[in-house]
Amino acid sequence: MNAIELKNISYTYSRGTPFERLALDDVSVSFKAGIITGLMGHTGSGKSTLVRLFNGLEKPENGTVSIFGEDIWQKPKEIRKYRFKVGLVFQYPEYQLFEETVKEDISYGPKNMGLDNSEIDRRVRDAAELCRIDSALLEKSPFDLSGGEKRRVAIAGIMAMQPEILVLDEPAAGLDPRGREEIFDGIRDYKSSKNATVIIVSHSMEDMAKYSDEIAVMNNAKIYMHDTKEAVFKRAHELCEIGLDVPPIAYFSKELADLGLPVSESFYSVEACVDALDTLFNAN
Amino acid sequence: MIKDITLGQFFPGNSLLHRLDPRIKIILTILFIAIVFLAKSTLSYLLVLAFTIALIIISGISFKTVLKSLKPIVFVLIITSALNIFWTVGDDLIFSFWIIDIYAEGVNFAILMVLRITSLLIGTSVLLTYTTSPIMLTDGLERLLAPLKAIKVPVHEFSLMMTIALRFIPTLIEETDKIMSAQKARGADFTTGSIISRAKALIPVLIPLFISSFRRADELATAMECRCYHGGDGRTKMNTPHLKVIDILTVSVFIVICVIIVMLNRFA
Repeated sequence: MNAIELKNISYTYSRGTPFERLALDDVSVSFKAGIITGLMGHTGSGKSTLVRLFNGLEKPENGTVSIFGEDIWQKPKEIRKYRFKVGLVFQYPEYQLFEETVKEDISYGPKNMGLDNSEIDRRVRDAAELCRIDSALLEKSPFDLSGGEKRRVAIAGIMAMQPEILVLDEPAAGLDPRGREEIFDGIRDYKSSKNATVIIVSHSMEDMAKYSDEIAVMNNAKIYMHDTKEAVFKRAHELCEIGLDVPPIAYFSKELADLGLPVSESFYSVEACVDALDTLFNAN
Repeated sequence: MIKDITLGQFFPGNSLLHRLDPRIKIILTILFIAIVFLAKSTLSYLLVLAFTIALIIISGISFKTVLKSLKPIVFVLIITSALNIFWTVGDDLIFSFWIIDIYAEGVNFAILMVLRITSLLIGTSVLLTYTTSPIMLTDGLERLLAPLKAIKVPVHEFSLMMTIALRFIPTLIEETDKIMSAQKARGADFTTGSIISRAKALIPVLIPLFISSFRRADELATAMECRCYHGGDGRTKMNTPHLKVIDILTVSVFIVICVIIVMLNRFA
């Protein structure tokens, strides 16, 4: 079953003004349930517009958006219920924090869902734990936290709604390696504990190599590739042509193969590289 | 959506109006306002209308965009024409029902009023805001007001404040849009409920907006200080505009039209 299915979607910004720009050009794509899909593409390729369609923040000019088989624009008045099914974390979400305490801020989403207080409290603690937010921080003001902590609080605010589909737009942009890891580990834990579908928009091939199962690549308002990450990274040459890059380790793997060394298969994560080198050294 | 607001927005281009000296354009705008208010007869109104349409054509901005910018004042137009139609008393009664009397003069006056307001708005925006970048605009204003420096008016500081304010309008609109979407994604509802609950729904938008505005102001001040900004004294411009023949010509055309309008008023 597909979690999200888009059919023949087009979207134009500022139609009818000199600033008109086609952001999505007849895009049809579906995202499988229960896996992490990385959505990649360089700036302006339409990634961010695409994710805004998933929960009905933008209405496509034509085509249909279906969540678990339901057309979300069937009843435009009930669009709000899909906001809780598809949790969308925007770029730099830390700028949306507004409450007096971290706990209050995380409960904003669940409160809008109309849940009772004990359920809200349970979900807030659960989300905070997934996002590695120390329980001592819960009573602090969100504006006193560090950048990475703020980011995690904002993500927890979406996770607390427990959406079946979690969509994140550049969740780790501008963070140091440790901050990135904390965020991606949190996302992975959310996926496995809630059996959720996750879509991550990212620039970083390395992060996607590590965390995603499938990768969709966008170029010029269209879906350019959509396959398992192994298959996508094999097409390194095409990725380079559209301004993307494969993880540096993937080049190393290719170099080794070109040297005629018996590398079993191409690898693209540091861990796989260590394993492969291990086997090589042991063989010699 | 919030992005569709075109009032006071600059459309880049290379038309005659885009190339005029900003100082001249401010003077032209004042002349244009004079032209609109000088017109009294139907004939002179027609000339004003033709002139406004000519300005739009010269500016190269589509009629659709210009008409869209009138949306916010539709209400004003309706009220003004209703007041004129129902409350003007004249000699030529054309419609009478119960306590409503409509005179031909009232209808006539209403049409002229609507024409006056729309051409005023379209003309000034086409002349100034649509075709002048905010930087050029404040630059022109600064130079036009420069003589006031003699009586210690901080002209440069005022124009800098205006430049910054204008510069950040689109940024703030974009930011508002972004925060609203983010809170909508968390289930915020801005469109239903009582006025009070809708006002309350805006708190999650306003607080982040205020915080980011203060942050931006702070960052801008630091960046300016890093580049040794110290006020207007002894500052020179990268591009100093000089009056060209075309500037003088355009002003002459406007003055001629002014005179024609006054003449036409006599022939009514």
